[in-house]
Amino acid sequence: MIQILQQLINGLSIGSVYALMAVGYSLVYSIMNFSNFAHGGVIMLGAYFGFFFVTLYKMPFWVAFFGAGICSMLVAVLVERVAYKPLRARNAPFLYFMISAMGASMFMENFVIATIGPTFRTYPQVFPPQPFNLRGIYVGRLDMVMFVISCISLVALVYFIEFTKMGKAIQATAFNPKASALMGINTDFVTIVVFALGGFLAGIAGVLFGMKYTVYPQIGSITIKSFIAAVFGGLGSLPGAVIGSFILGILETLVSGYMMSQYRDLISFSLLILILVFKPMGLMGKSSEEKA
Amino acid sequence: MLEIKDLHVYYGGIHALKGVSISVEKGEIVTIIGANGAGKSTLLNAISGIVKYREGSISFKGEPLPKLPHLVVKRGIVQVPEGRLIFANLTVKDNLMLGAYLRSDVNGIKRDLEMVYELFPRLKEREKQMAGTLSGGEQQMLAIGRGLMGNPELVLMDEPSLGLAPLMVQTIFKVIKDIKSMGKTILLVEQNAYKALATADRAYVLEQGRIVKSGRAQDLLDDPGIKESYLGVKVNNRG
Ligand SMILES: Nc1ncnc2c1ncn2[C@@H]1O[C@H](COP(=O)(O)OP(=O)(O)OP(=O)(O)O)[C@@H](O)[C@H]1O
Ligand SMILES: [Mg+2]
Repeated sequence: MIQILQQLINGLSIGSVYALMAVGYSLVYSIMNFSNFAHGGVIMLGAYFGFFFVTLYKMPFWVAFFGAGICSMLVAVLVERVAYKPLRARNAPFLYFMISAMGASMFMENFVIATIGPTFRTYPQVFPPQPFNLRGIYVGRLDMVMFVISCISLVALVYFIEFTKMGKAIQATAFNPKASALMGINTDFVTIVVFALGGFLAGIAGVLFGMKYTVYPQIGSITIKSFIAAVFGGLGSLPGAVIGSFILGILETLVSGYMMSQYRDLISFSLLILILVFKPMGLMGKSSEEKA
Repeated sequence: MLEIKDLHVYYGGIHALKGVSISVEKGEIVTIIGANGAGKSTLLNAISGIVKYREGSISFKGEPLPKLPHLVVKRGIVQVPEGRLIFANLTVKDNLMLGAYLRSDVNGIKRDLEMVYELFPRLKEREKQMAGTLSGGEQQMLAIGRGLMGNPELVLMDEPSLGLAPLMVQTIFKVIKDIKSMGKTILLVEQNAYKALATADRAYVLEQGRIVKSGRAQDLLDDPGIKESYLGVKVNNRG
């Protein structure tokens, strides 16, 4: 019993970081109807920003953390301006966006390999290693921090989307860009805001992810699991992305806890295929076409 | 107030507007009638900045009109689009408030919201309802109300009576007159030519991307050619 609870808590913790990443996929999908595969690259850069801010520049952790978020936000917006805006301007077919996203993603990965190198790097110990003892259940401090930060960020995001004017404009643009433009909404600016939000969350998720595991140039391809979570929940739906992420996180920790950890990714990708075949809308998705 | 000169719009190889010139004076209702595919929506979308025009000019209150949709709205021209295009996933109130997106005059917004609710009491009753659950007629009311929330000087209306029951059509045309009496100017596109001509001050007839006739709406109502092609009236041998 204790052990199940233990696994559940670990699952919630990693699931919450998946959620931070997954909402970025979902936000962009809801506005532009394509899966932004450059998102993984932004997450990877976020992990590196945080790493160098802490080690090289000796910044206090929280400064490095938010710094990484802001730098990643700028990168995400830059990717949008350079790789997608020109395509949007001439109504390019969907496939071009996919190719452009792949290109941006490969560029980021290889840029890091060329400049920083392919080696694995480990964050210094920021939080003391000894876990909390909650009535016999041990919760790592880092896991706790991951969970709390992620939840705060997600609540803030939902508040922004649901209760601010810009949030309503994002919802309106996701529903119908033409009608939104006719209301006086600058849909181009809304797109920038969406990439900025996704990029910031990607950056801080990258830092958390990098602290939990290690930092290396291909870390972005692992974050594809948050994409699976977003598809599982239903791309384009924020609650879907969050719920999908928690389910995936828990499923993964249970699998690696009770079976072999090698099965973990096998299960995740099988889940993706099963969803795409049997429930392409996901749990709460808005449309089924052109997801992957 | 609005002055369009020699406007040409292309969709790829399709030449949708072939040199359209029209003008709208302050306080008028001007209607553009024409068959399906004549280019009516294209003309309104060119004004709104939704479609780009290759040649020609559009000026508003003596100055060239910007070509980006949000800047056009900022200048005081709001379009109530064909098919309503309401935000079905948001509440009625949210839809109306999005109409006021560019405004920051809290009191003015409040006043206009009351004005819209007075015009369409049905919307007030359904304030918190998801807009997608409204009936067709109510959605048209919402689309018009949402447009008015932008406090426009010029309202562009694209087929507001489309797909509505006769009673609702009556209501909508009465509202159009009410909007005029608020001092707003209206450019109305319609397939319901009889109703449009009966409501408007002046009219243009658009055929295959060209203005083929124009004049006082009353005169066009009596025009034999118009009667035959647009009003479905058989005209006997003249003279
Ligand atoms: N996005 C588009 N791409 C290509 N052609 C288009 C597009 N929009 C309109 N057209 C074409 O341009 C012409 C004018 O279309 P428009 O929608 O302006 O007509 P309309 O007068 O509004 O017709 P309706 O009464 O059916 O609404 C038509 O031949 C139409 O097929
Ligand atoms: Mg039309």
